[in-house]
Amino acid sequence: MNDLVYDNIEIAPVEVVKCAARDFASALAESPQFKTFEQAADRFRQDETAQHAMQAYQEKQQSLRALLMLNALNEEQRVELEGLHRAFINQPVVRKYFQAQTDLARLCQQLGDMLSECVGLNYAAACGVSCCG
Amino acid sequence: MQPILSIGLQESTQSLIENLLASEAFTRYGQAGVCLNQDSEARTLLERLNHSQANLRQKQASGGMNQAEVDSLRLLQQRAQRNPIIMEYVQSQTEAISLLREIDGEISGLLGINFASFANHSTC
Repeated sequence: MNDLVYDNIEIAPVEVVKCAARDFASALAESPQFKTFEQAADRFRQDETAQHAMQAYQEKQQSLRALLMLNALNEEQRVELEGLHRAFINQPVVRKYFQAQTDLARLCQQLGDMLSECVGLNYAAACGVSCCG
Repeated sequence: MQPILSIGLQESTQSLIENLLASEAFTRYGQAGVCLNQDSEARTLLERLNHSQANLRQKQASGGMNQAEVDSLRLLQQRAQRNPIIMEYVQSQTEAISLLREIDGEISGLLGINFASFANHSTC
C-alpha cells in the first residue's frame, strides 16, 4: 500500500535532508547569538582567574558530594561552598558566558519549537533530551 | 520577547523543515498518522493504552500497583501489537525519531554544541 502512495510523492533522500541540516547549522553559526557565545566561551576558557574559581568550587563540591546528596552540610560547609560558588559566578567572564549561553538557548529554543511544530514531534525530546538536559 | 531571526536563518529553517517532511521517514509517519486518525477503533485503543501506561507509571512510583491493572495493561498492549494501523504508526514514528537524531548529530557536529540540549525548554 505504501509503495503505491510513495510513487506519487517526491521523497527527499537522507543525504539531501542532511545537506539542509548543514545549511541550517551554517546559518545558525552566523547568528550574533552564536558568535557571542563562542567568543564568551573562548574568553572564559582563557581567563585563569575564572578557571581557578571554577576549579575551587568544583573541587569543594566534589569533596562534599556525599553530604550534599544527603542534604547534610553543616553551616560552615554550606557557607564555604556558597562563597566559592558566588566567587565563581560573579567573575565578569563567567557572567558574560552564562548570559551568552542563555541568549543562544533562547534562539535555539525558538528554532526547535518551529521544527517541532512543523514535523509533529518534540525535537528535543525526540533527540533524547530530558527536562534536565 | 523572541529573538529576531535573520532571513538566512529563516530560509534555512524552512528548507530543513520541508526536506524533513519530504523524507521517506516523515512521509510514512504522516501517512500513518492520517490512517490512525481515520480509524476510531485504533485511535481509541491507543488512547486507552497511553492512559493505562501513564496511570500505572504513577502507581508504580507511589507503590500502589496491583496485578489486575498490570494484566489489563498487558492485554491492551497485546491488542495494540495485533493492530496493523497502530503498529505502522509506532514503527514509522520510531523511524522519524531516528532521522531527527541523525539530523541533530549533523547540526551539533558542525556547531560544536548539543543543539537539542540548547533547544530544550528546561522545566526543572
